[in-house]
Order: sequence, then structure tokens, then C-alpha cells
Amino acid sequence: MEVSRLQRRYIDFISALFHEFTELQHLQDESNPDFVSEVASLFFEDSERLLNELSRTLDQQTVDFKKIDAHVHQLKGSSASIGAQRVKNVCLTFRSCCDENNLEGCLGCLQQVKQECYLVKNKLDALFRLEQQILATGGVVPIMSKD
Amino acid sequence: MEEAEGGGEGEGEGEGEGEVVELRVLVVDDSPVDRRMVEGLIKRSGKGMFQVIAVDSGKKAMEVLGLNNAKTDSTAADEQKIDVILTDYCMPEMSGFDLLKAVREQSSPKPIPVVIMSSENEPQRIDRCRAVGAADFFLKPLQSTDVQRLRDSVTSTPLALKTPLAPKNAPSKRKMPMDRMAEKSGTERRPRLAGVAVAWLPLRSCDTPAV
Repeated sequence: MEVSRLQRRYIDFISALFHEFTELQHLQDESNPDFVSEVASLFFEDSERLLNELSRTLDQQTVDFKKIDAHVHQLKGSSASIGAQRVKNVCLTFRSCCDENNLEGCLGCLQQVKQECYLVKNKLDALFRLEQQILATGGVVPIMSKD
Repeated sequence: MEEAEGGGEGEGEGEGEGEVVELRVLVVDDSPVDRRMVEGLIKRSGKGMFQVIAVDSGKKAMEVLGLNNAKTDSTAADEQKIDVILTDYCMPEMSGFDLLKAVREQSSPKPIPVVIMSSENEPQRIDRCRAVGAADFFLKPLQSTDVQRLRDSVTSTPLALKTPLAPKNAPSKRKMPMDRMAEKSGTERRPRLAGVAVAWLPLRSCDTPAV
């Protein structure tokens, strides 16, 4: 009973998550059992590095907008890859601010993208905790259909 | 910088009746997330067709291919036989386009096919790659159908000789869940002319002037 309750909760949770996340799930199999958590970890490490770089670069006396754009481009790419669409959307706005050399806009976008990354992390952490609970009670983690 | 990541048991013959020859694909991408995603997709969708070697820069790719000019203490073992190169377009120092040019400049009778991948669907970029002889151009994030195209690129003619590819129409790819924030706040809408996306974005630092 506990297992099916956790599984139902997992399904509801993942249904509300970004669609591309289910694409990630489908790349996980017996030969790649930790693929999803591996990719998620890579994303969090990489995004933290990029956000730190962005903060540092925006803090300079003379702001190098090309450098900022390059970092945001990277963040946009990796967020799109894991399906974090909201992070990607903020990155699009961020790049527009870079094109306009708009420092205030960039600073606003930085705060926004930090917030969105934080939300993604929280969601995925909660999801992984649910997975662990399901496995601990002897259940199987549901795999969502792609459709 | 990361070392090259080998991804399979090695090229060789399959067990059983049929001979299964794995294609060695060199994945080049400075993003660790994208590298891992592409590797995972190729292995999952490729069904044993590919052995993946992944590096994080054009410079590392040149070393793997044995094309770097600098005399290093690399041995012959460092120069691995590669059947196809799948490289990101936009990378620091040496872009995917630079790598494509370097590979195509080799006077080998059968140059290694180079497939470019990019998150930006820019006709200028595609044309530039086509002009230099890219085997194909994939839009990120990659899909399982791209893996079959990757295999086809090993045997097919370069992109320059193909009919123009229809660009991927991003809005029709998949439906998005409801937790997506207002797309209009950040998503750029590009006008489309006869199915071709027109890029409004200025040339980025990874786009070199027209050759």
C-alpha cells in the first residue's frame, strides 16, 4: 500500500515536471542505471560554476558583455538539454540584455536565473528522494510514457 | 580539462553469426551536460552501433585525431581511429567550425565525416558549415532520429552536395507541461519564410565572418 501511494505521488510529481525530463528518464536503463541523477548533478555543478562566473563578471568595473553572453549561452544550452525550460527562457532574455549592453537588465536576469536554477534543484532533489523511498519500500520507480 | 572518455568495449567483431562493426564516434562539446546527454542518447538509441569517445574541446579532438601540430609525447595509441565526428558548433578557443575546417583540410582520400550540432537554428551557420563540407547539421537537443542520421553520415555524401535540410520546427517538436513560465517573456519568435527560420540574433563570438 505504501509503495503504491509513493508511486502515485511520484507519477503526479513527475507529470508536473518539465516534459523533457521524461526524455531523460527514457535514456536510463540497466546499462545506465544512474543516468538521470548523473546528468542532474552535472547540470547543478555546471550551472553553479556559470552563475559564479556571471556574478564575478557583472561585478567588474568594466563589464565584458561578450563574456557574459558566452556564459549565458552555455547555461541556456545545458538547461535546454535537461528540459529546464524556465531557466532557458530567462537565458534568452539575458542574452538580449547582453546584446543591448544593458547592465541593469543583466543583473535582473542573473537574479531570476539563480532563482529558477534553485527551483529546478529543489524539484529534482524531491524527485530523487521519492525514488529512494519507493526503492526502499521494495517498489519499482514508474517510467513515464513519452506521449 | 577532462580526459577523453572512452565509452565502449572497443571496435570489433560481434559474437554469433553476424559481424557487428561498431562505429567510433568522437563527441566534442565543452558542456559536460551536453556531452553526457549526447553520449547517453547515442548509446541508448544506437543499440550497439556506436562506441563513443567524448572530449571537451576542439584542441583535445585534434589530439585524438592526431592532427595537432605541437610535438607532444603522445604515442600512436593516442591517435584513435574515428569513424565520425559529432561536434558542437560554439566552443571557446577552437570552435566546431574550426575543427570542421581542420579535418576537411586533411588530404586524406576519405576524410572523416564531421557532423555539427548547435542549439541555434541559424541559416547562415548551416550554410557556412555546408560550404566547408559538413556531413550534417543537428539542432540541439538531439533526438533519437539524429542517431540514425549520424550513422548515415558515415556513408553518405557531404552536406554541400545534399538538398537543403528543412530546419527543425521547434514549436512542433513536443508539447510542454503547464509549469513552463510565460514563454513570451523570454522566448524569441522568429519569422519564418517558406519554412526557413530567419535569425534575428546578431553574429555571436563563435560565428566567424563569412568565408
